[in-house]
Order: sequence, then C-alpha cells, then structure tokens
Amino acid sequence: MRSVLGQLHLNKVTKSFGDIKVIKGVTLDIQDGEFVVFVGPSGCGKSTLLRIIAGLDDATTGDIVIDGAKVNDLAPVNRGIAMVFQSYALYPHMTVFENIAFPLRVEKMPEAELTAKVEAVAKVLQLDQRLQQKPGALSGGQRQRVAIGRAIVREPKIFLFDEPLSNLDAALRADMRIELTKMHHDLAATMIYVTHDQIEAMTMADRIVVLNGGFVSQVGKPLELYHKPQNKFVAGFIGNPKMNFLPATCTAAGPDGVTVTCEGQTIMVPVEPRNGLIGKTLTLGIRPEHIHLGKGDIRFDVVPTVVERLGVNTIVYATATGAEPFSAMLPGAANVSVDTPSTIGFNAADCHLFDGADQALERRTDLHEIDMAQLAAQSA
Amino acid sequence: MSTSTPMINRYKWYEIIGIYCGIALFLIFVLSPFVEGFLVSLKPLSRLFSSPYRFWPEHGSFAAYSTMWESVPGFARYVFNSLFISGVATVVVLMLVVPAAYAFARFRFPGRGPLLGAFLAVNMFSGAVLIIPLFRLMRSMGVLNTYWAMIVPGVAFLIPTAIWLLRTYMLRIPKELEEAAYVDGASRLYTFRRVILPLAMPGITVVAITTFINAYSQQFIYALTFNSKTDYMPLPIGLFAYFGRQEVIWNELMAASFVGIAPAMIVIFFLQRHLVSGLTAGAVK
Repeated sequence: MRSVLGQLHLNKVTKSFGDIKVIKGVTLDIQDGEFVVFVGPSGCGKSTLLRIIAGLDDATTGDIVIDGAKVNDLAPVNRGIAMVFQSYALYPHMTVFENIAFPLRVEKMPEAELTAKVEAVAKVLQLDQRLQQKPGALSGGQRQRVAIGRAIVREPKIFLFDEPLSNLDAALRADMRIELTKMHHDLAATMIYVTHDQIEAMTMADRIVVLNGGFVSQVGKPLELYHKPQNKFVAGFIGNPKMNFLPATCTAAGPDGVTVTCEGQTIMVPVEPRNGLIGKTLTLGIRPEHIHLGKGDIRFDVVPTVVERLGVNTIVYATATGAEPFSAMLPGAANVSVDTPSTIGFNAADCHLFDGADQALERRTDLHEIDMAQLAAQSA
Repeated sequence: MSTSTPMINRYKWYEIIGIYCGIALFLIFVLSPFVEGFLVSLKPLSRLFSSPYRFWPEHGSFAAYSTMWESVPGFARYVFNSLFISGVATVVVLMLVVPAAYAFARFRFPGRGPLLGAFLAVNMFSGAVLIIPLFRLMRSMGVLNTYWAMIVPGVAFLIPTAIWLLRTYMLRIPKELEEAAYVDGASRLYTFRRVILPLAMPGITVVAITTFINAYSQQFIYALTFNSKTDYMPLPIGLFAYFGRQEVIWNELMAASFVGIAPAMIVIFFLQRHLVSGLTAGAVK
C-alpha cells in the first residue's frame, strides 16, 4: 500500500534547556514499519525526544537521520512526519472536515482531490457522519480520531504520538489501543509512541525504549524487557505491581549460576556469572506474580497490611523484613488476611540478580515466550 | 428541591437584602448625575433656576431635543466627527495591536517584559500631562487642525490597554494548535490567519469595543488643543456651542449630551453580550 520508507536513526542526540540537560545522549535505530514506544517516568525526556524527532525542538547536539538524510534543520513537514498531540490540538472553529483537510489546504491541494482524500480517511476512522460537526460536539474518542485523521491524511513516513490516550477514560483507552494497533498493521507505517502507561507500551509496541533521566535504559521487545531487564530500573518499571527487591549476599559463582544467601536461606539463581562477585552484596529481584503461598525455594513470613481482591488474583502488600514494601500477586482468592502472618515463597528460577551498580546479571531464561516459533513448537 | 441554584450561590434572605442594598447604593451614586441631566433636559429653560429647586420637572417636555438642532446647526456634524475619529482610531489600534499582542503572547524576545511594563507606565500619564510635547510633535508633523491631530494621540494612548487586554486573551489559546499547524507545514502567517485570528475574535471584539468607547470619551483634550477648525470638532467641543454669551442653554446642552452619547450606547447595547462573555472568558477557562 505504501512505498515510502520510514527509517529513523538518532545519533548521540542531546538536549539542554539552559543548564539543565534533559536528553543526555540517545542513539537509536528505528526500522521502517516498526511500532516503537518510548516509555519512562515523568521528566525522563521521552516527550522532549519526540519533539526533537518532530522538529518542534532542536537537538543541542547529535543528528536525526530519516531515510539516510540528516533532517536536523528541516521543518517538520519536510521530514515526512506527522504528529498527534496529547491535547489533540484540534482547531475548535473548524469542522471535522476542515480539521482533517488542514494539512492538505496548506499544500494547496486541488479541491476535488482534497475532498476525496478527506472522505476516505473519515471512512476509515468512522467519522464520515461527523464531517460537518465542530470538535466541540464530539466525544473524546472521536476527537482523538479526528486528530489521527489529520495525521493520516498527509501519508507521512513516520507517525509520532505524544501520549495520545492519556485524556481518555479507561474503557475508551483500551478500545483506542486496539484501534491503533490495527491501524499500524493496515498502514504499515513507522510509528513512535510516547506514553507513561506501561500497559500501552507492552501491548502495542514492537520494541520498547525505556528512558530514564535522559538516557536509554534499555531497548527491546516487550517480553524481553519483562524477562530480561538489563538493570534494576527497567526491572522495577516494567510490571505491575512492581518487582520486589531484597538484599542478598553472593556466596559462590559457577557455570550453572550464582549462589546467594537471602533471608537466611541459600539458593542458586541461574544467571550468567561474573568475576569478583563472591562476598558482594547483590540485589535480588522477584516479581509479585512469581510469589507463591507457602512454597518455594526460599520461604519467609510476611504480615499483610493491605489485601486487594481482584477476583482473578489477590494482591498482597506487606512489610517484609527489609524497609522496602513487599507485594505479592497470588492467583484467585488466596487465603491471606490483613495482620495475619503468612508464609510466602519463590523459586530461584524466577529470580533476577543485580550487582552493586544495579546492572542485571543476564538470566538463563530461554525466551520461548518471546519467540513465537518456539512457542508454537512447544504447544504442538 | 425545585431550585437548581448551586449551593455556593445560595444566600439567606437578609444576605440578599444586603446585597441589593449595596448594589442600589452604588447605582444611585453612579447614575444620579445621568438622571438629573435627563430631567434637566426635559425642563423649560425659564423654570430651571426656579426657587425652590424642583427635582421633578414641571411642564416637562422633549422640546429641547428638537430646538437643540436649531441653536447649534453644526451639532450633527460634531456627532459624526466623534464617531469618525473614534472609528478610525479603533481600526488603527486594531491593526497595530492584534499582531503586537500576538507577538507579546508568543514570541520570546529581548526586552519583552520591560516593553510591556513601559506600555503600562505610559498609561499612568494622562494625555493632559503630555499635552505640550504632544503639541510640538503634532506641529512638526504638520497635522495640527486635521482629523489626524485627534486620531494619532488617541491611538497612542489607547494601544497599551489594548495590548494588555488582547495579549492576555491570546495567552489562553493553546500553544499546541500552532505546533500542530507548524507540523502540518503551515507558515506563521497562515497559522495566524487561519487559526489564531478566528480563535481570538471574541478577544478582538472586546478590545474593539473598549477602544471605541475610550476613543469616544478621551478625544476632548486633544480636540481642544490640537484642532481649531470648527468643521473637525468632535462632540465634547461641540457641546460648548451651547454656552452662549449671556447664558448657558442648559436644557439643550443636556439633551445634546444624551443625543451625543446615543450612538456609543447603541454600539454597547448590541455588543454587550459579547463584551461580558469575552471579559469573563479571560478570567476562567
């Protein structure tokens, strides 16, 4: 359907506002047709990075390369990008038709061609009955679609989305998520999507870029980030409730893994060993969903302070022996109650280990959950 | 409860009485000169100084409203002059202020803050303080005794308020709209014309109305100083024609004042709704 390419390359991009460095050197390759999500906590620079790609802000240093051409000094329209804003940025005094037609009017496209294009886009987005209305008469989801329509109509190489769903309610957000994924499939265009919502990141992305404090913390497929986070930040950021961290002391390291003592018990975690670990204090990470009631390689008692029953599972918040709060996601209606000590446990195979610099020791998990071919072979 | 008044707007009966008393006091203070002026315009001249003074006119009639045109034949011209001067001043102010307000609202340039402050400071001087330098300026520009003599200084003193008013309005137009237009390839000027101007229209209307009213009311001092041609005299000077050699024709003077402000009143009356919604729209989102 489309012949235009949308390859993006960021080379050591930095951005400073006065003395404050917001982007501290980002190098990134995005392939044509990829759906890439920038995710990170507030102030991590993800929106700034998007604005730099869009051409709304300039990079302090570094290059932005689209399809092999450096575009640092090009206006947005000449970069072949289109952007959907968080606030939709619809023109309230224009009809839906004129809103979608705006980029074409700027191009001075002949009326007949313009009408045909706008109507085609409106049909795709189910806005054909709304063309003569003003944005004020539309619902949030429809406004969002008008904003997307205005981006599609120009047939850009790269779509940029700046937290486009954050103004919608939860149900609509889920719908729009599916629509956007479908749209990405149909248009086969490169899309870069900024969000702070990790569900959006996990569900829509081909690859996720986790940003933290102006640096890229990790780039990878959603499940890769989940199973093999490269550092403690990504481990804590991906997954909800967030991963629990416990102090552990390394006692031995061999080809099969690293042996640590945690909560007075010793386990061997299957991770890639490294020199000079023995005797060091490491951080052991365990996801709440990998915690079991009463069994596991390591077991200890916690006193639940809050119990949330969601039907499909039960989330327990407790204070463990350490200062950090501890959470567990137990399947179904688990037999736990507030202020009553319960024994919980987890298995060594589910553990993550981080060194003193918060860098992960690579896990020996086979990523069959990521590789669709392996997954198919396994279930066959 | 049948009432749909929000809780925050509900008052006890004595509070309501208090509120209305306050409003009444204020209105009496503001409106009584107008009321008396109107009553004077209804009285025959001979009865005006009758003693004891009567507030309510005896033998009241609207005769003064027709005789005023005969006593001062040029009166219609004066009213037209006033409208013309205010109208031109308003158009000139809008042409200068709309782009300026946009620049002050959106562009960061050195001296923006001080410049805005300077505009406010200019407003602290009344035109009267600067009348002598202004006179010299007008003379060297060679515009004394023309319409421009009243329009140019009027415009100069109207610009600051207009810029402040419109800048505040334009600050409320979301920046993303311009960014979206920019991303879609629109130039600054195109964005200004297609996006900013239509959205700023209520604000521009407010500025137009206030500018027109102020221009209407402030022309007195400039007309008195910079113009001596009877043909160009605006309304406030024209009213002096009712000051005869022996006596002041008070009833006709008052009638003429009311006729003179009627055009401005009509303008306000029709645009009042816009004015109010525009101004409050500037305060709350």
